[in-house]
Amino acid sequence: MASENSNSKSVTFENVTKIFKDPQSGQDVKAVGGVSFRLEPGELVTLLGPSGCGKSTILRMLSGFEQPTSGKIMIGDNDVTDIPPNKRDTAMVFQSYGLFPHMNVSENVAYGLKLRKVKPQEITKKVKRFLEMVGLSEMSKRPTSRLSGGQQQRVALARSLIVEPSVLLLDEPLSNLDALLREQMRVEIRRLQKSLGITAMYVTHDRVEAMSLSDRIIVMRSGLISQIGTPSEIYRDPVDTFVAGFVGKVAFFPCKVNAIDSECHVEVKGKTFSTPRWSDKLKAGDTALVMARPESLSIAEPGAGIENGVVTANIYLGSSVETWVNTGLGNVLVQIDNPDVKKIWNEGETVSLSFDPALTKVLVDDLFAHPAAN
Amino acid sequence: MKKRIIHFSLAILFVILVGWWIYSSVRDEFMKQSRDSQRRTVETIIAGFPSEPQDIEGWLARLAEDKDKNNYTAAFINEIPEPGKNLSETPKGDSELAKLLLENSAWDTEFTKGFEYASYEEIYRSVNNWTVGNKEKQALFFAPAVSLKTHDIEGVLVFAFNTDGEQDFMNMLHMLFLGAFILFFLVTWQLMVSRDPIVGFALAGLFLMTLTFIAYPLFEAVRLSFMENGRFSLSIWKTILTTKGYLSALWGSLQLGCWTATFSTIIGFMFAFVVSRTNAPLKKLITTMGILPVISPPFSLTLSIILLFGNNGLITRWLRVIGLNFSIYGLPGLVIVQTMGMFPIAFLTMTGVLQGIDSTFEEASLNLSATRLKTFTSITLPLAVPGLLSSWLLVFTTSLADFANPLLLAGDLKVLSLESYIEVTGMNRLGHGAALSLLLLLPTLTAFLAQRFWISKRSYVTVTGKPSGRITELTTPRVRRVLTGIIFTIIIILVMLYGTIFAGCFVKNWGIDYTFSLENITEALTRSRDALIDTVTLSAVAAPAAGIIAMIAALLIVRKKFFGKKLLEMLLMTPFALPGTLVGISYILAFNHAPIILVGTAAIIIINYVIRELPVGIEGGIDSLKQIDPSIEEAATDLGADQATVFRTIVLPLVRPAFLSSMSYTFVRSMTAVSAVIFLISARWYHLTVLIYNFSENLRFGLASVLSTVLIIIVFTAFGLMRLLVRENANMIKNVT
Repeated sequence: MASENSNSKSVTFENVTKIFKDPQSGQDVKAVGGVSFRLEPGELVTLLGPSGCGKSTILRMLSGFEQPTSGKIMIGDNDVTDIPPNKRDTAMVFQSYGLFPHMNVSENVAYGLKLRKVKPQEITKKVKRFLEMVGLSEMSKRPTSRLSGGQQQRVALARSLIVEPSVLLLDEPLSNLDALLREQMRVEIRRLQKSLGITAMYVTHDRVEAMSLSDRIIVMRSGLISQIGTPSEIYRDPVDTFVAGFVGKVAFFPCKVNAIDSECHVEVKGKTFSTPRWSDKLKAGDTALVMARPESLSIAEPGAGIENGVVTANIYLGSSVETWVNTGLGNVLVQIDNPDVKKIWNEGETVSLSFDPALTKVLVDDLFAHPAAN
Repeated sequence: MKKRIIHFSLAILFVILVGWWIYSSVRDEFMKQSRDSQRRTVETIIAGFPSEPQDIEGWLARLAEDKDKNNYTAAFINEIPEPGKNLSETPKGDSELAKLLLENSAWDTEFTKGFEYASYEEIYRSVNNWTVGNKEKQALFFAPAVSLKTHDIEGVLVFAFNTDGEQDFMNMLHMLFLGAFILFFLVTWQLMVSRDPIVGFALAGLFLMTLTFIAYPLFEAVRLSFMENGRFSLSIWKTILTTKGYLSALWGSLQLGCWTATFSTIIGFMFAFVVSRTNAPLKKLITTMGILPVISPPFSLTLSIILLFGNNGLITRWLRVIGLNFSIYGLPGLVIVQTMGMFPIAFLTMTGVLQGIDSTFEEASLNLSATRLKTFTSITLPLAVPGLLSSWLLVFTTSLADFANPLLLAGDLKVLSLESYIEVTGMNRLGHGAALSLLLLLPTLTAFLAQRFWISKRSYVTVTGKPSGRITELTTPRVRRVLTGIIFTIIIILVMLYGTIFAGCFVKNWGIDYTFSLENITEALTRSRDALIDTVTLSAVAAPAAGIIAMIAALLIVRKKFFGKKLLEMLLMTPFALPGTLVGISYILAFNHAPIILVGTAAIIIINYVIRELPVGIEGGIDSLKQIDPSIEEAATDLGADQATVFRTIVLPLVRPAFLSSMSYTFVRSMTAVSAVIFLISARWYHLTVLIYNFSENLRFGLASVLSTVLIIIVFTAFGLMRLLVRENANMIKNVT
């Protein structure tokens, strides 16, 4: 689809910090500590992280509701650090939608245009077009209270998009919807964002949402950026065990780095492997962790693999079976694709695990720094 | 940011310089004018210096006679004094000035210079200001006394000019420029540095308002109670705390408060218990009648009690026939009237408390085979104790602050609110009045603190958000019959009291001639026309002002973080605890002199209404806003609305019920105000309630009845209208959260 929004702009954060004062103790709390990144025009970037990691604060600083303690925020070439929210060319979709309860659907959508003193006929035309776009043409005169959650979400979306902002901001917009609707809306949001060619920043703590929507993901932790990358980079090539654990299920095998050349050669339980990816902080002789995703693990007879364990559960999902194996490393999830043509091990059977080294990455052992994500 | 601060500093510097230049030229020009006019006065006077020495004394006396018209005193020295030598004789004329001259002529350089000027037939004005007798800040003029006949200098005429006018003008000038500068500073600061200038302006406005119209008058009242003859002194407080009359007023107030609070709480509890804990019939009626007196105008119950039990009352007559002689004026009558008027406060408080107590507790007790009485005494009552205490305290403070009822019914009983009114209007002892009404604040503050720090900590009422529709029946049918019997007796008495006022409208001359007549109605309506229009106008102006300010204040308090929020909140809520008499007295104290003179204007009455009814409106606004998702307002801001637009298009429609009830509350309270407004009315701006009081004082009960009825009709219409408008909103509000 052709890009409708020619004025979509980049967003730049330069070393932005935000310090709050804790109202109880009066102490300073660093919500965001020195963050820099750049969104390209038309790109959808997700801020992903556990609650309290500062992702919402970043979004609120971009929209202008919070003012950074230090640093600089740019939209396009304009420094907006000191610009109040109503003068910024951003539009936000709120977690609780924030629909105006005393206005009906089309009044809600028209609000931003009225403020911009657009002519009434034009407003009517545009509101009609945007309601069509989100599939709510029939409901234009309804009070927002008589809409379902998904419909309210669409109103909020239309209300933000109609003012043709340079940047669209979405603050966990799907967290109030049920699972099925969430998947639908995810597709919908992505479709609208792409068709309008609008720069978008999306905040969520749901990794599946982040993976399926984003051009790029910013993984955050304790007010700092852990990693910025495309969904596949983040999944396959995480910078540390935190990112590895946060963006997907994972098992870690302790290992020793023997040598690093064009590959990383490690030794796990006396067996040697070579993996194509490794953390560049590692050097030969370090103890480290081999990170393996469920689909890179496989189950074999006891003794054949690296780690022995007992099958505790089998979850049949149609296209795959998830087998949980209790090992000395904890409960490990193994994904067996095409289960109908593969051997499935019964609960209680003793088995051994092995992994496909081509799909793994060797990471610095920093598990003591945080509890394993699984 | 740095650049802006530099711009800001430069702008301020520029304004300071320009301001200083304007200020000093205005000041110099004024001083020059003032001195020139004094000099001209002196020239005119000395031109009339008598030629014969024996006429001098008479001439000086004539000058002194004019003293009230002229702002100077004069003295004549019969020689040209020489430096270092004492005067040979006491100067003639004003004795205080003569004394000053005797003391200073010999050695003070200014005096020497003055005499020297006089000897050259010139006029000299002292550079310093002098204290002459008890008059401070006098400018001295030394002028030659030239005999018209001989053209010789006979001596020196000395004039002491009062510079109070100059001082006042200078003070005003200082205030003006300081104020203008502060205003400029704040506005510029907001515009240049803040991202949210509208919020800044609103905050500055609120702070200015509370400081000017709440903190400043209170401060003035406290200050005046510690002043005597312009100096700090404890004498007023000493007098008040040792004079028997004042102490008996304190005692009277406390007695009245205790009795009223006790009876009101008992009756209120009965009403509340029957409504929220039994299956008694006609609960709607009981509730309505239990709330009614709260909005009934002052004087109405007093008036009907007087009509029935007064010296010429309907029932008094009958009782006299059977040989009973009594007077309703005094403590018993007041307790009855106040209880009738104030038990609704206890009823409302107790209903809230009883409904907050989960019936499951009582069910559990009954289930464990406790009797109903045992359940009531061991479960319901203990849980209700904090509520009982707080409703007692609330009625107690209301009774203490009550002014309207004692005004008509106190008889020989002395109470503080009335005593402070008499001090101010009868004796013109403002300081004593202020001190007495401050004394009234003491029990109120104690009650408030007790409520805040003691009772609220012992409250077991829990808000579950799930009102259980079930009521555990705790009364046997017989107990229920007794309770409803008492309640309906009270309701019937209330109806009778209101009926009496209504009947009073149509009777020729109550107590003497009970024939039907419409004369009172026509006379009352013609005589009260202006007052009625004034009252409605002032209330109608105050209502929207209070509503809007309350909503803005609530919005800022709930949604914004700013420095001094606690202080602002406290100041805004203060008038809630202030007795009306104190507010009235402190307003006339604060606003009858510079820098703000408002006494006698409509503004002072309106401001008083707004300030006094703000706390209730703000509370309502805060409660309402706390239920509204902040992201609704943020969404509007995000779409490009500035704070004022957000307030107008989003907040105000959403808090409409709170806004409307704040408005109607202010309107009704303003229509029925007495205690503060009685100090503030003027010939131009009068109040209906004061007129009712005047008519009652003059025993024109018919006229008073008509006006009371009119007030009741207006008040009920206003409330009805508000209910109607709010109901319209009900659907929408359900979905705000």
